[in-house]
Amino acid sequence: MLVADTLLPGPAAMLLSATSRVITLQPVDLTIIIIYFFAVLGIGFYLKKYARTGEDFFVAGREMTAWVAGLAFISANLGSLELMGWAGNAYQYGILAAHWYWVGAIPAMLFLAIVMMPFYYISKTHSVPGYLELRYGHATSGLSAVTFAFMTILMSGVNMFAMAVVMKTILGWNFTFSLWVSTFTVGIYVALGGLYSAIFNEVVQFFLIWLGALLIPILGLVETGGWSGMVARIKQNFPGQNFTHMWGPMLHPSQNPMGVSWIAIVFGLGAVLSMGYWTTDFLVVQRVITAKDIRSAKSAPVIGAFFKMAVPFIVILPGLLGLAVLPFHLFPDNVVAANPALHSYDQVLPLMMARYLGPGLLGLGITALIAGFMSGMAGNISAFATVWTYDIYRPFIKKQASDRHYVNMGRWCTIIGLFISIGAAYIVNHFGSLMNYVQALFSFFIAPLFGTVIIGMLWKRATKAAGFWGLLAGISTAVGIFVTISEHPSSVKWFCFYTGAQQLAQQMWQALWAFVAVAVVSVIVTLATRPRPDAELRGLVMGLTDIPSEGDLPVLKRPFFWAVICFVIFLILQWIFR
Amino acid sequence: MAEDNLARQAGNSSGAAMPPTTGRKHMIPVWFFVGILLLVYGILIFITGLREWPHPPATVLSNLHPTFWWSFILIILGAVFTFLNFPGRKR
Repeated sequence: MLVADTLLPGPAAMLLSATSRVITLQPVDLTIIIIYFFAVLGIGFYLKKYARTGEDFFVAGREMTAWVAGLAFISANLGSLELMGWAGNAYQYGILAAHWYWVGAIPAMLFLAIVMMPFYYISKTHSVPGYLELRYGHATSGLSAVTFAFMTILMSGVNMFAMAVVMKTILGWNFTFSLWVSTFTVGIYVALGGLYSAIFNEVVQFFLIWLGALLIPILGLVETGGWSGMVARIKQNFPGQNFTHMWGPMLHPSQNPMGVSWIAIVFGLGAVLSMGYWTTDFLVVQRVITAKDIRSAKSAPVIGAFFKMAVPFIVILPGLLGLAVLPFHLFPDNVVAANPALHSYDQVLPLMMARYLGPGLLGLGITALIAGFMSGMAGNISAFATVWTYDIYRPFIKKQASDRHYVNMGRWCTIIGLFISIGAAYIVNHFGSLMNYVQALFSFFIAPLFGTVIIGMLWKRATKAAGFWGLLAGISTAVGIFVTISEHPSSVKWFCFYTGAQQLAQQMWQALWAFVAVAVVSVIVTLATRPRPDAELRGLVMGLTDIPSEGDLPVLKRPFFWAVICFVIFLILQWIFR
Repeated sequence: MAEDNLARQAGNSSGAAMPPTTGRKHMIPVWFFVGILLLVYGILIFITGLREWPHPPATVLSNLHPTFWWSFILIILGAVFTFLNFPGRKR
């Protein structure tokens, strides 16, 4: 276990064992962080003059190229909690965590690109609830919009809270200072430039995240002597445990620490949960809706998929390297809470930063974490502003108003949304146990929403009533399973077919059952109600929609070609790390 | 000019396309902002790496001078993005 003791110089070891903070910054690091804040604000002020109309503010004028939309798409997902959390999961579960980046993302992103994007694009919708409005009407759209807006703002608050805690833990920064400075920066640049500003900053953040985090796995592999050296060290440090195979330990849930089988991974995560997140969560879909033409709209998720496939290199690999080189074990949060001298799983990424990055590079690495945090927050808040203004305020509160009025509403609700998020962050700060519930709440809506949208896109017979009742049944099923397992933990075997199923495994099964509920209820209600005429569904449903041609393009410029290449690489990775 | 811009960006382009109707043909591409920031960071980190060369920080593998070498990646990337997307530059 202490194999790396001799490799860690004395001062670094002292730094890592410090209980008050994990990292100490030098003036050059702080300079880098301060420059970043000025840069994102400067971009926001610059773009203000371009965000005049609703189309500008809420959908960035629908004029983004495939690369800009694709990088913003992936950046909005690359929050720092995602970076730190999944590095921690990699330390805890090994390379199993990479399932969330590969089978739990790539097929869904390619499905969005090739199958669903044309419908979002042709319908010229401004949001996912906007599509539901066109396909199923007010009731379904309203239910989806209200739940999304409510949960997005709560999630934003939880993320703020978690990030402020992270900054306090690893840097020793004051909780309130971290919370307010970051929030105001995001609030100002999103309120000024709308989605233009959010997307521009997300592209900048994309580069910072990669360039700030990439050196850790590179130096880690140098230290361990490559992949095989790392695996050998992990086996030496944790004898008898399998941290470096993805599919081998999946034959039965008892063979892996997650308590999950391949069925839940493939069908729960790959076919439902990830499909729900990547194809209907407006936080990410909003980025590709801004594409300037059909080819860009289809290419953007494919570009995002290539980069998503590479993210384990900067997230999962540092977690695995932590298993190999850290001279001490990391522990779950509850253990660390009882003994503050220990470090938690989630601290593996900052610990690896402290291990390899000196002054300057450390500032860049911390800026990457801050950038990730801000891109996630901007994603939440810009999606909230759009859904609130277009899907709740306009249809239900003020139907007839000028475009300028709605833009002003978007700006104001950006600010108000951030204040609500800050309030939520302080509430969570006082009632810590709420955090897990709020995070779980968000997962209630993903799978049912995907079921409702995909049935609406692929089955023209599905009726308005089926959309509403199917969505409601799916949400109720997810909530019901969560509450039942929370109140009666032994019931987990009925839903997950294994008593040792951990939280991530429960989420997969919960999503799968919610999707089944949506499908069953939607079919029953559809057969009992009158279908809409075909004429009303043109441009919304497969079979009734003429997909515009991408033109006479060479194969190398076709999104489908690159989607196939991406999928082949994805399969090869599964084989290599099986 | 605007039509040229659109035509240029229709392929494997960079930056936000500007339809002629919006009158935003002079919007600076996002890649320029990326380039400037990377360039500034690269220079700062280069100076830091140079100063600490004789006395590397107490981090693992600091004998390889990662700060110094990584700054070149940042400077090169930043310079390329900045040059190719400099406002007013004809491509």
